[in-house]
Amino acid sequence: MTILRNLRFALNSAWQSFWRNLAVSLAAVVSITLILILAGVNLLVGHAFSQVLDGFRDKVSVMSINVADDTPLTSVYAFQQQLQGDPRVATVRFVTKEEALAEFVRDPNNAVLSQQIQGNPLDAKLEVRVRSLNDVAAIDSMARQWPGVDPTDPTNYQGEFVTRMLQLSQWLGFAGIGLMAILVIVSVVIVMNTIRTAVYHRRKEIEVMKLVGATEWFVRGPFVLEGIMTGVIAAAIALSLLVISYPPAVSRFSADITFIPLTYDPTFISSLARDLLAGGALLGALGSYIGVRRFVRL
Amino acid sequence: MLVGPSRLELSELSGRLSYTARDLAQRARRRLTSQQKTQLMVLTPDFTARPVISFQHVWKRYPTGTEALRDVNLVVPEGDFVFLVGPSGAGKSTLVRLLIREEKPTKGKIFVEGVELGRMKRRQLPFYRRKVGLVFQDFKLLPNLTIYENVAFALRVHGQPDAFIRTRVAEALDTVGLSGKELTYPANLSGGEQQRVAIARALVHAPSMIIADEPTGNLDPATAWEIMQLFMRINARGATVVMATHNREIVDLLRRRVVAIDAGQIARDDRSGRYHDDSSKSQIRAQ
Ligand SMILES: Nc1ncnc2c1ncn2[C@@H]1O[C@H](COP(=O)(O)OP(=O)(O)O)[C@@H](O)[C@H]1O
Ligand SMILES: [Mg+2]
Repeated sequence: MTILRNLRFALNSAWQSFWRNLAVSLAAVVSITLILILAGVNLLVGHAFSQVLDGFRDKVSVMSINVADDTPLTSVYAFQQQLQGDPRVATVRFVTKEEALAEFVRDPNNAVLSQQIQGNPLDAKLEVRVRSLNDVAAIDSMARQWPGVDPTDPTNYQGEFVTRMLQLSQWLGFAGIGLMAILVIVSVVIVMNTIRTAVYHRRKEIEVMKLVGATEWFVRGPFVLEGIMTGVIAAAIALSLLVISYPPAVSRFSADITFIPLTYDPTFISSLARDLLAGGALLGALGSYIGVRRFVRL
Repeated sequence: MLVGPSRLELSELSGRLSYTARDLAQRARRRLTSQQKTQLMVLTPDFTARPVISFQHVWKRYPTGTEALRDVNLVVPEGDFVFLVGPSGAGKSTLVRLLIREEKPTKGKIFVEGVELGRMKRRQLPFYRRKVGLVFQDFKLLPNLTIYENVAFALRVHGQPDAFIRTRVAEALDTVGLSGKELTYPANLSGGEQQRVAIARALVHAPSMIIADEPTGNLDPATAWEIMQLFMRINARGATVVMATHNREIVDLLRRRVVAIDAGQIARDDRSGRYHDDSSKSQIRAQ
């Protein structure tokens, strides 16, 4: 009961304080909104990129090991067994020369080329799906040491490309985290200063509160709530703007840059909403907590 | 503190925070000899009782280097009324600030109701402050709150229910003679009235101890006298009162305990003293 009454008191004070310093409060809301939009865009771009990356990853993690024509079938089976036993390998499929040719001919992209093919120039191959992209290189070098591999065209592994992509995704991850860290710091500082203004306006009340026996949390409560209010209002505005502009932005992007398969993902909206609202509330709480720390201490 | 059924209610709610005059009278009677019993019963503080406040070799040096208190020893029994007098800068406010744990002593110990303030955890400090009522020279009222809300403020901070707050605030405003002014704002009151509001706020949670720092410092003599009457009434109801003051006329008129501080030291402690030392006329010396 006492807790409810204290909460009511804190909510009242926070609300009044928010309106009393409306200009400062709104400035904070606008700043935090912009920051959260940046953060949201960062999240969306990160999500889109990982969507695209997942597509690439799927393709790259399947590697073909070309089998030399004169390799005995027993040797191929033995190597297939060995690969299957390897913990880094998910599946291994043996594709005979005939199957390889049939697959090649079936692909409409090869229509013209398959007209001109004489005999069967294609190798039999082992299609290896590797569990982690990081292990593709190791499997590749293992395959190259296998005596049965086609020495002229051992595998379709494009080491360079895979390494580059791994690096790119890593760097993008770091950049995203770095950007987020900066945004967090900036918004905490903004909330801190807003709350300092509120503290300044209510310094007399804080003094009296302490003298009549308020606990530190009682003094702190209204300010933390005001911070949370600022953060959540900003998050709600940022979220609506992002939700409105996300689908047209995606369709515009995929129309302009067709080789990157970006699609609209409605399921991401709910996780974005959760992240932004929780993030806004947390930033507000943290900023105000730090902002009043010195003034609350008994 | 205040008479009527609410006193009972309060002691149920917040424990024994205050002492009635009856409590003190009973204690006084217990220690009277049969011979003394035939004499007129006078309500006096009980010096054999557990002291409410006790300073033991207290020193206070501010970070600036000012030695504000030097080796202060002071015992205040339950129900006592103590004037702290002395020139400006003597250390009166410092003593008050130590008493409400706004500052900590550099050396020595301060006990209040048996608890050493220096050992009190920060977490416990609010609950200690709730046993004390504070009155200051500058009133410290909140200008954007009505008189009612100013007095209610202390109880809101303690998380008390509305119904309880209504009764207590009405009683406190009645005690200070400001019933009917509930919806006024502090700016519309005279200085004396504002100090009454501050006193009501200091009383509203029925503290066992009232600590006042120059409560009449901003008031004209007539008003100051009225305010002082109020403190006497509160003391007669059982609260211990410690008051730092400059007001010589009042101190000399009331002949209560006077603790004179000079340059951070207790220069004099008279059971019923005057503002200035006047040995030939002083009746009882307490040491
Ligand atoms: N917060 C403080 N910091 C430094 N010095 C102080 C502080 N408060 C008081 N003093 C000094 O301590 C001495 C006692 O001050 P104070 O207790 O306010 O005296 P009084 O209330 O008797 O006028 C003075 O010399 C004053 O300048
Ligand atoms: Mg002073």
